Amino acid sequence: MNGQELSEDNPTALIKLEEEKIDLSDQRWDDAVVLILFWGLAFIVFLQFFTRYVLNDSIAWTEEIARFLLIGVTFIGSIMATRKQSHIAVEFVYRWIPRPGRRLAQTVIDVLTTAFFIMLAVFSAQIAGRTGQMMVSLDIPKSTIYWIVAATFVCMALYSAWNTWRHLRSGTSKLIDPELHADQIRAID
Amino acid sequence: MDIIWLFVMLVVMLVLGMPVAIALAGSSAIFIIVNGSPPPMVVAHRMINGVDSFPLLAVPFFILAGNLMNTAGITERIFNFALALVGWMRGGLGHVNVGASVIFAGMSGAAVADAGGLGAIEIKAMRDAKYDVKFAVGITAASSTIGPIIPPSLPMVIYGVVAGASIGQLFVAGFIPGMLMAVSLMIMIAIMARRKGFGRDQPFYWSVLWSTFQRAFLSLMTPVIIVGGILSGAFTPTEAAVAACAWALFLGLIVYRTLTLPRFLRVSFDTIETTAVVLIVVGAAAIFAWILTSNRVPEQFAAGLLTISDRPWVLLLLINLILLVVGCFMETVAAITIMVPVLLPIAITLGIDPVHFGVIMVLNLMLGLLTPPVGMVLYVLARVAKIPFEQCVVGTAPFLIPLVIVLLLVTFIPGITMWLPTLIYR
Repeated sequence: MNGQELSEDNPTALIKLEEEKIDLSDQRWDDAVVLILFWGLAFIVFLQFFTRYVLNDSIAWTEEIARFLLIGVTFIGSIMATRKQSHIAVEFVYRWIPRPGRRLAQTVIDVLTTAFFIMLAVFSAQIAGRTGQMMVSLDIPKSTIYWIVAATFVCMALYSAWNTWRHLRSGTSKLIDPELHADQIRAID
Repeated sequence: MDIIWLFVMLVVMLVLGMPVAIALAGSSAIFIIVNGSPPPMVVAHRMINGVDSFPLLAVPFFILAGNLMNTAGITERIFNFALALVGWMRGGLGHVNVGASVIFAGMSGAAVADAGGLGAIEIKAMRDAKYDVKFAVGITAASSTIGPIIPPSLPMVIYGVVAGASIGQLFVAGFIPGMLMAVSLMIMIAIMARRKGFGRDQPFYWSVLWSTFQRAFLSLMTPVIIVGGILSGAFTPTEAAVAACAWALFLGLIVYRTLTLPRFLRVSFDTIETTAVVLIVVGAAAIFAWILTSNRVPEQFAAGLLTISDRPWVLLLLINLILLVVGCFMETVAAITIMVPVLLPIAITLGIDPVHFGVIMVLNLMLGLLTPPVGMVLYVLARVAKIPFEQCVVGTAPFLIPLVIVLLLVTFIPGITMWLPTLIYR
């Protein structure tokens, strides 16, 4: 392996991978919001863990704020995923239909997806308008969460509309020409 | 509108390639609007509340832990230790591959993380040692599916939340089945090695074993912390996830110093993105599941299945078949969130414990990762090994045999899964 023989005298001639180049070109400055939320969440959950084990007394507000931040990371992170078109989808059918069919299918789902995002934004705003409660351990109205989610759906709708327009103009997309777009490895399954 | 149209809409949207979350929420919203009740804003309400769950907090941290392990140079140390441990056997690197996957399974909860990170090293090593690349890819793919069976496991967290089952018990229940998978794969390798006349890859030295163990010691502590913490009941799954992250950060920042700022940002963004796309599906599935239950779909489906046969073992086989087919076409998380509300009530009528059923389901869906057309692990490995997808399929096929045997054992012998959880949780 690696040209060197492993032996009693040379026990460290072992396998090594080459350094991989780190590519951050798909991120943008506005992703900093969700980055901060995420590490804020990590800090809070660690704090809870720490207080429960070391101080034997968990702080009451940590659980609620953690769930609140998780909702934030999910929906604000989804804006990023919408921009990158990396939401989980079933894509295999595109391998078998001819290119004009792929373009048509892409347009149909682009338009439908945008419409659904707008719809979800409206529903979230309705929920926000109807919610009068306060959060249990924090002095924040619960409707704040719903307003934030409504705003994220508006952003997703905007990115989705932008993607629709780009796909129409360029005539290509990840689904239409999968071989041109290297898909990422995502550790989901 | 009849409930069947909900399924028709969903399937059409999914096949067209619409994001699973949007297809779930969209078809549910249309169904509710057309039927006129309840008020359609319930869609957004259920979707947001579907994410508002404390156990789901384990998801981002297990993803983060897995990503950190892969960048911190931990995988290499584990591989080299496994090499010194079992490399002397006939078809040695095949066994090394399985052994490293078992260790890695104890710190990562996703098969794709195993295939993409550890898989790169395993395939390189086997290639250098002149193994057939198809064989290398096949055993790497098959062994990576042990990851989500041995705790921690992302699919089990999702299943636990959707099914309302104890995630701690699910984790413990997966331990023995995961070990069985490893043993069955090693038997298969031994058979193939004998038939194809593979040699031994390297001699065994205590000194090498000791030195690789020392180098890997801190990395090896990760599965000990996580699996040990969960099996002993000291950690809840979320706490185990946080502990794993803290440990991986400690290794990457202070001990091995491999975690540079760009790498840290890359890992963070990958984790955020994966968390978001997984949890939004979970949220959207909550509204879909709610419509299914309020329209009594599971009961009707169960009644339909019972007309085919009333023998539990036939029905179990049937359920396995359904899950295998679904797993061939759908990613694990999406499949779990859609299939649990439909299948779990039947399983419970058949007297199957929800924890046992969770292991059966995840195991089925793992096999789906190894089959076309949507075998995520195969896609990842095709890229890692730079060979065509079709060759990956061919290389992996023989290893499906031992895995299916394990699946059948796990399905029909409840003790394999339930013995440990009943012992620990009583």
